[in-house]
Amino acid sequence: MELFLEQLINGCAIGSLYAMFGLGFGIVFATLGILNAAHGSYASWAAIAALAAVEQLKLPFIVALPIGVVAGGMLAVLVDQIAFQPLRRRGSEMLGALITSIAFWIILDNLAGTATGQQSLSFPRGSYPGTMFRLGDIPLPAMQVITIAAMLIVTVSLHLLIRHSRFGAAMRAVGWNQTAAALGGVNPRHVVIITAFIAGATSGLAGVLGGITTQNVSFLLGEGLLLKGFAAVVVGGYDDVRGTAIAGVGLGILEVMTSQYLSSGLRDGITYALLLSFLLLRPRGLFGSAGFSRA
Amino acid sequence: MKNWSRQIGIRTLATLIALALQAGPAGAQGLAPGEYKVGFITENTGAIASAGQSYWNGAQLAADEVKAQKFLGGASIVLDSKESGSDAARAIQAANQFVADRSVLAVSCCILSAVAGSLKPIVVEAKTPLVIFGATASGLPQPPWVYSMTILPGPKDTATAVKVIDAVKPKTAAYILAADNDAFKGRMNATRTALEAKGVTTAGVVNVLTKDTDFTAAATQAMGLKPDVILVYATQGAAAGAITALKDRGYAKTIVGNDVLSPAPIFKKMGTSVVGVPFPVSFSDAIVETPEAKAFVAAYQAKFSAPPDIYSAQGYQVVWFIAQGLKSISGQPTRESLATALSKISKIDHQVYGGEVMKDGQAETTGTLVVMWNAEGKIVPWTAPK
Repeated sequence: MELFLEQLINGCAIGSLYAMFGLGFGIVFATLGILNAAHGSYASWAAIAALAAVEQLKLPFIVALPIGVVAGGMLAVLVDQIAFQPLRRRGSEMLGALITSIAFWIILDNLAGTATGQQSLSFPRGSYPGTMFRLGDIPLPAMQVITIAAMLIVTVSLHLLIRHSRFGAAMRAVGWNQTAAALGGVNPRHVVIITAFIAGATSGLAGVLGGITTQNVSFLLGEGLLLKGFAAVVVGGYDDVRGTAIAGVGLGILEVMTSQYLSSGLRDGITYALLLSFLLLRPRGLFGSAGFSRA
Repeated sequence: MKNWSRQIGIRTLATLIALALQAGPAGAQGLAPGEYKVGFITENTGAIASAGQSYWNGAQLAADEVKAQKFLGGASIVLDSKESGSDAARAIQAANQFVADRSVLAVSCCILSAVAGSLKPIVVEAKTPLVIFGATASGLPQPPWVYSMTILPGPKDTATAVKVIDAVKPKTAAYILAADNDAFKGRMNATRTALEAKGVTTAGVVNVLTKDTDFTAAATQAMGLKPDVILVYATQGAAAGAITALKDRGYAKTIVGNDVLSPAPIFKKMGTSVVGVPFPVSFSDAIVETPEAKAFVAAYQAKFSAPPDIYSAQGYQVVWFIAQGLKSISGQPTRESLATALSKISKIDHQVYGGEVMKDGQAETTGTLVVMWNAEGKIVPWTAPK
């Protein structure tokens, strides 16, 4: 039982990373209509920026974390304005944006590999909270607590922003029809830029926290999150952040329990079998609305 | 008739003398001067690029030294690189291009055994010597066409585990294994058999995958088996991640690693997590004794501003091995003559291990250094915890 609970917490922690990553991925898809393959690179670059802040600038974790998050957001805006804005102006379809995003994914990953010297780096010990809490006999690392807490805060904040604020209404309007939103007094370009920033920053947060908890700051960091984040979005539903969060955590738990009680070889197979099942049987996901056009 | 016979005899003699003169000076002059091209399939990008760059650096240094020392007289080795990113398809494409280029005398490649295995039939068919710099699966060499300068870590793993077990005397052992890597699976099984023969019960095997990045669950699973010792058989990233996760979760008993822990960036990445973990190594810049090895460390440090690791040493040995083969050839070398020359090498003359022989196309070194990282970031001989 003790082992089960330990693994449950491990699953929640890794699932929280998938969830946070998936939140940004889902927002971009729901609002901007882009299936952005470069989204994983934002996580990698955010972790690299935070690590540089710690190692080169000797900044504490509490400052390096927001630097990484902002870096992820800024990179997302940059990519959006360079890669996707021209396509949007020309009224290009989703396929064009997907191909463009794959090109940026490869470019950004190559640059990340160069920036890290093709090494898998890690945050120096002592540069982040390393306390080990205990729930009875169950160890609970501080970074796992921070990761789960961050996921909950981000999910609630995004849900409130999208569903209960004027900006959220503007995001949904732009996601539905940019021309109609503009006629209604919304500035679509501002909405697009802010949405891209939020998505990149969320991905960046997952990248920095993931880089610390997995001891892996490299271009592979975002690649690992990309497919799992995508699965979380599909299973949870594209247009509801609560679904993405629950699905992300669920995927993490499923992965860990599969490794513990079945086989690590089956882990990814089961995850993607679940993804395929949802695509076939419930394409709008757990919480997605039936009428969502992009599902 | 007699004159005619004499004329024939004189002409025949003259022809024989001329032929002998033609062959004679060539035999004495050795390798014909020129630049001889070796195709080097680099792995400077991709998931294992950190090791790939070390192999490439070592090879470049050796090519420079061969030229600077005039080891081949007026001849030199030129490395022609094509990148594979450790991808089999790209490696095959590069190998085919090198095979098609008749100026390429030999090819060197591969960290991954599967990639090396896929190139093997291509070079054998094309009769082009291939010297493997990193793949560890046994059975890859096939003289006269395929050679491996990789020091096979399997026997050294077992020797290390036995040495540690003799000192620590555990009752149970658990293994963390990169289940998608056949070479590591073979190495783990050999060690497991040796330890079980010594009465160490296997508590269980925890499988991870090479591309995994999170090892918290695997560490929890391994610790849940409550073993006295955990042995890690995984590639560099996975081994580093698994050991760090074990230490982070408070595992205080013995962990045994493997040779992937030896490169310097590992200490920078893992810090105190790797301190005291025993692992075998064939070459370490911190434990060098021969003049050749010391010169190699100094030259590498000067050229790349970093210390060489085991991968650099293996890349370095590839070029010196080819150079030794070329040196024994008279006149203009061909792929066939180089293959024959390489097949005759039984001992590497210029090497950094303190003893390296070639056996059936496979490089071997004697002895196993069981070492560990100390708190100052130096590799030192392993000592059992008190």
